[in-house]
Amino acid sequence: MNDLLIELFTEDVPARLHKQATINAQKVFSNLLVKSSAEFQNVKAYISPRRLAIHVTGLSEQTRSITEVKRGPRIDANEKALNGFLSSNSKSISDLVEKEGYYYLSIENKGCNITEIIPNLIEDLIINMPWPKSMHWYLEKEKKLSAFWIRPIRSVMCIYNGNPLEFYIESIGLTTGNRTYGHRFLGNKELVIQNFEDYVKQLEDNKVMHDFGTKRAYIENELAQQVASMGLIVKSDDALLDEVTGLVEYPFIHIGHIEEQFMSLPVEILSTSMKVHQKYFTLTYPDSNIAPFFATVTNVPCTGTMAQGFERVLKARLSDAMFFYKEDTDVTLEAYSNRLSNVVFHEKLGSVAQKVDRLMSIANSTEEHRVIALCKADLVSQMVGEFPELQGIMGTIYARVQGESDVICEAICEHYKPLGATDNLPKTYVGSRISFFDKLDTLVGFLGVGIKPTGSKDPFALRRAAVSIIRLICDSTHNILEDSLEWYIDTLISAYADQGIVLVQSVKKDVITFLKDRLVVYVSDSENIDSNLCWQVVENSNSDEYDFKIIKSKIIKINELSKKPEFEIVRQAYKRACGIVGDFQPVTTNKEYVYENEYMKILQSKLSKLSSNDSEIDFNNCVDVSHAILNACENVLMNDDNLDVKNSNMALLQRCITTIENQYGKL
Amino acid sequence: MTCEQLVKRNTPKIVSFQDIIFGLQQYWSDQGCVIMQPYDTEVGAGTSHYVTTLKALGDDYWDVAFVQPCRRPKDGRYAENPNRTQYYYQYQVILKPAPTDPQDLYLKSLEYIGFNLDEHEIRFVEDDWENPSLGAAGVGWEIWCDGMEITQYTYFQQVGGIQCSVPPVEITYGLERIATFIQNVENHFEINWNGRTDERKLTYGDVLKRFEREFSCYNFDVASVDILLEHFNDYETECNKLLSHNLVMPAYEQCVKANHCFNLLDARGVISVTERAGYIARVRALAKSCCSAWLKSLQNEEDTHE
Repeated sequence: MNDLLIELFTEDVPARLHKQATINAQKVFSNLLVKSSAEFQNVKAYISPRRLAIHVTGLSEQTRSITEVKRGPRIDANEKALNGFLSSNSKSISDLVEKEGYYYLSIENKGCNITEIIPNLIEDLIINMPWPKSMHWYLEKEKKLSAFWIRPIRSVMCIYNGNPLEFYIESIGLTTGNRTYGHRFLGNKELVIQNFEDYVKQLEDNKVMHDFGTKRAYIENELAQQVASMGLIVKSDDALLDEVTGLVEYPFIHIGHIEEQFMSLPVEILSTSMKVHQKYFTLTYPDSNIAPFFATVTNVPCTGTMAQGFERVLKARLSDAMFFYKEDTDVTLEAYSNRLSNVVFHEKLGSVAQKVDRLMSIANSTEEHRVIALCKADLVSQMVGEFPELQGIMGTIYARVQGESDVICEAICEHYKPLGATDNLPKTYVGSRISFFDKLDTLVGFLGVGIKPTGSKDPFALRRAAVSIIRLICDSTHNILEDSLEWYIDTLISAYADQGIVLVQSVKKDVITFLKDRLVVYVSDSENIDSNLCWQVVENSNSDEYDFKIIKSKIIKINELSKKPEFEIVRQAYKRACGIVGDFQPVTTNKEYVYENEYMKILQSKLSKLSSNDSEIDFNNCVDVSHAILNACENVLMNDDNLDVKNSNMALLQRCITTIENQYGKL
Repeated sequence: MTCEQLVKRNTPKIVSFQDIIFGLQQYWSDQGCVIMQPYDTEVGAGTSHYVTTLKALGDDYWDVAFVQPCRRPKDGRYAENPNRTQYYYQYQVILKPAPTDPQDLYLKSLEYIGFNLDEHEIRFVEDDWENPSLGAAGVGWEIWCDGMEITQYTYFQQVGGIQCSVPPVEITYGLERIATFIQNVENHFEINWNGRTDERKLTYGDVLKRFEREFSCYNFDVASVDILLEHFNDYETECNKLLSHNLVMPAYEQCVKANHCFNLLDARGVISVTERAGYIARVRALAKSCCSAWLKSLQNEEDTHE
């Protein structure tokens, strides 16, 4: 079986990128192979801190031959054009085919030996591989900048069927070979590789785990075992596990001790400080109380000096945290809130203190006012200054320290939730309401000064705010809208105006459009429903009241119904009626018309049973109406010579159409 | 002479603070670097030395190393925090262009000054560096030793908002942190400075504690705001004037001084959050003008040679 092994040996690739990089490399390289008409079974990428390897299996020796038909000049074109066409394709007059007034050439791309195109494939891989942030380095011999890559590439290995392929890669100024290197500190400097199996084995012997997934699983397992032997449990943290996996070529585990004096710190602080600064895992007792130990994953076996170092660094970090915590708890949250006028919310939208004032204008109870008064205070605390990810969490902890009620303490951290489409919703009613206020204020403000997300750029996370609002309305067990959505938007707009912050005229419409837009995306993604159907329902919903909860359940209901066989009848009837009414605009009167025709009478009576209220979905009656429509259309000449009769026929059909549209949208 | 030999000559045990500096000077001199002296004006980092900023632009080869005392007024703690001070020392290395093995060169430098790499864990943790005042950015790592950051390592990509045509690598050692490691002390002020162990031993604290305390008072409590504001404006005006005379290096120095004034005002707590962005933008505008003028002067030089 033919196989190809490529390894790009680089300086340390940032740990957070490892997982995605293997996916990207596989995708890019497969696409390149397909584009070059190469046939292969599988492409797999492997990553560790200093290398990205690609292994292709089942690779055909020859690329496929492909025949391409090229259109040339018109038959009546001058000779010069024709000769140009022929010479640029290295063909002669006898190869030409005439068809529909044009000359054609059929050009056969014969396919070639795979080894001929491998150099280009690697060159293209380097150029096409996406990295979130990349760099140039200087190629001294070539006197030019390298291609973009995440960190400098220092060596490239390329082995085809056990044979090294040697060629020069222009974009990084390196010549390929069959050499690589072991672990930076524990392996042999230079390894000569025969083939993929040999590669994996030699790396393993030289303390490099070549596969991210294997290494991650190994760490997870080892950690759990070592910790279990002490009667402890690792606080699970997938992101941290990914990161430490990406930081080591070979994992070793060390368990260290946390000094007793720090154990009085709230667990969130201990845990965050250890994770963010030191990438240590938090350990707990089986009752999930935090234990005075940490676990760290190292790249070399832990020596006494290192162990000392790890504890010393942690001590310094936690001393800082302890200092911040003491300083913070010496101050009340009210005092911190008073400093929020110094924190900019956005340069065009004033300070966070102003935001707090606006939220007050839409709040309804004493509890809500209390939460709003305190919920942003921790932004100016020392602890959040050090760990921004603890915003809200510190607010709750400090509120407890100063003896606020449980509801208020909970609501403070909950008011940041949910963070988008998958995060948990707040549990408390107050927390849900304040979260909704906060996000709506953000949306009104930013859209009001013309800041909108464009493409993949959404620096103020407005889409996330919108989807969170929708989920708070639709999915929360609490009914958070005490007034209409419009009332909240209007009141916020006037609150902005009272502060002298001018928003664009169209802001209300913009906010509603933006929310509807996100509603469609959210429902279609989360319920796996065709987005056109979602759009129809949203568009046809009563425009005075935007109750997303009702719209969402309607979408789901209609989606279910639309899968029933009877729905086809509704669709047919609707289309038929639309076709007959066409552009005709019937004159409608309040008076109920008395039809002479039996079919029309039946239709009229069936329709009267079907509520035109769009919040009720009465599918069976609708199917009845649809049958009646089809029967009427079949048997009645709608376009009657008597204009009066014609008008009344059309008016009834139009009412049917409108009723169906109100329930299911345009079909 | 290696660091170990130096150690033997002076005292039998201690690798002193100054030994570390001597070691690094010797090591990077052996690599062919120009060994410069510190910039003689207040800077927040070795990056602000004109031999870093300006020389990072243009196509010239440039390998340089030097100690740089750094001033970060806001970081002062009246000498009460063992590890945070408003004045400290960096060892700055610039290799332009970055050679093909800078990570190895760095690791060898640690061994040279007395680190036993078998006993410590050195790792490269992603940290992309950015300095908004200088319009400078690069990619690289913090280098950790047993979990503590001891060095910042950056491949410059942009300076003064201008793409580097020959990207240099910048290696910045935190000398106090390295000394605490080598000497196994926990407090910067306890670092043995002169290497003596008798009654004439002088520590980092003996040398700098009073300086730290007095400057913390100056930075936070006493510095005259009006005078500083005036200075800031004056430096800005002067920088622009010097640029109009094509005196790029003196102009750049005014820009650096303006930046330090801003840092002092910031420490004094008189700059609101909104104003802050404005000041940074003013300094960046000066830095950008200096960098552009520098690059232009290099091109002019080339033109006259041709």
